[in-house]
Amino acid sequence: MTVVRTFHPEVRLKQIINEGVGVRAEAALERAELELQSIRENCVAAIDGKVERLIDLLSNGDREAFPAAYEISNEVFAEAGVFRIAELSAVAQSLCVLLSAHDPARVPLKAVSVHLDAMRALRKPEVADNLPLRKAVLAELRTLAAHFGDVERKAE
Amino acid sequence: MSGVDPNAIFNLSKARALLIDKSQHSLDVLWQILKGLGLSNMTRSDSVDDADKQLRLNAYDIIIIDPALEGGAGYELISRLRHSAGKNAHVPVVLTTGHVRAADVAKGRDTGANFVVIKPITPNVLLQRILWIGRDKRPFVEAGNYVGPDRRFKFDGPPQGSDGRRQSDLTQPLGEASEPNMSQDEINAMIKPQRVSL
Repeated sequence: MTVVRTFHPEVRLKQIINEGVGVRAEAALERAELELQSIRENCVAAIDGKVERLIDLLSNGDREAFPAAYEISNEVFAEAGVFRIAELSAVAQSLCVLLSAHDPARVPLKAVSVHLDAMRALRKPEVADNLPLRKAVLAELRTLAAHFGDVERKAE
Repeated sequence: MSGVDPNAIFNLSKARALLIDKSQHSLDVLWQILKGLGLSNMTRSDSVDDADKQLRLNAYDIIIIDPALEGGAGYELISRLRHSAGKNAHVPVVLTTGHVRAADVAKGRDTGANFVVIKPITPNVLLQRILWIGRDKRPFVEAGNYVGPDRRFKFDGPPQGSDGRRQSDLTQPLGEASEPNMSQDEINAMIKPQRVSL
């Protein structure tokens, strides 16, 4: 039988959070947003570099590159989302789902390719600055991804 | 600004934080957010070895870690920390995760962390979790291989000063049915799974 011990350890954070002169959450959050904006340019450039690396890794259809590409796609998902590049973040998340499939041999390479095309399109300046176009790219990706999913299911 | 009470007052200026993530840009994001929230004493680490070293040398008040670094070694790092007798064994840990492989979900649950923040990280959600830690009354549990905060969250009723969330609920009992019961065929038609084209 498992022996269970419960106890309340001393947690310093609980004490110091209420000590001294505090700040209002609203003001702190505004400051945090400003701090984030101060690194936006560098981070967005880095995201573009990661998209390029993804394209290099995956464009020849090498399934052995999936684990490395998954890691990069996951970073793009997280970092693009912080800076509200929502559509690119959504495409990267969808690519993560594909690349983390239990059996990589069953992942349709055309579906991977469509994700890369969508990422490439979303980072073109004329699309990146145009919300309706970005949404159209995402909608098209979803249609194509569903189509490739159907094709794969029918092939089973 | 849903989630955090805009008038909540807090002070994180004395808090010491260890930030662990394999991506330098994710570390930059965390650093800037926490700086805005008032922290100034922060250490960043992009590997398990370095994080281990920092945890041996320094005492922290909060650890924020993406456990996916080095193929998921971050999960073992936190679990090892919880099982240790070191100065940071009971420090609040926030896991930050991007897309999580199905196999890693149970690791996240069993690692002994206090809370999880799903990336993309926003200042609002991160602050909310930190304030939750400040109010967290869950005990620590040692049970078999698990050491960490109790994973069961108790229901303590609606927030003070409110009647709860479900104010649209009917206040009176429904009473007796006023129409005949539905037939089994009608019920089957309602719950029959159907293929939907999106």
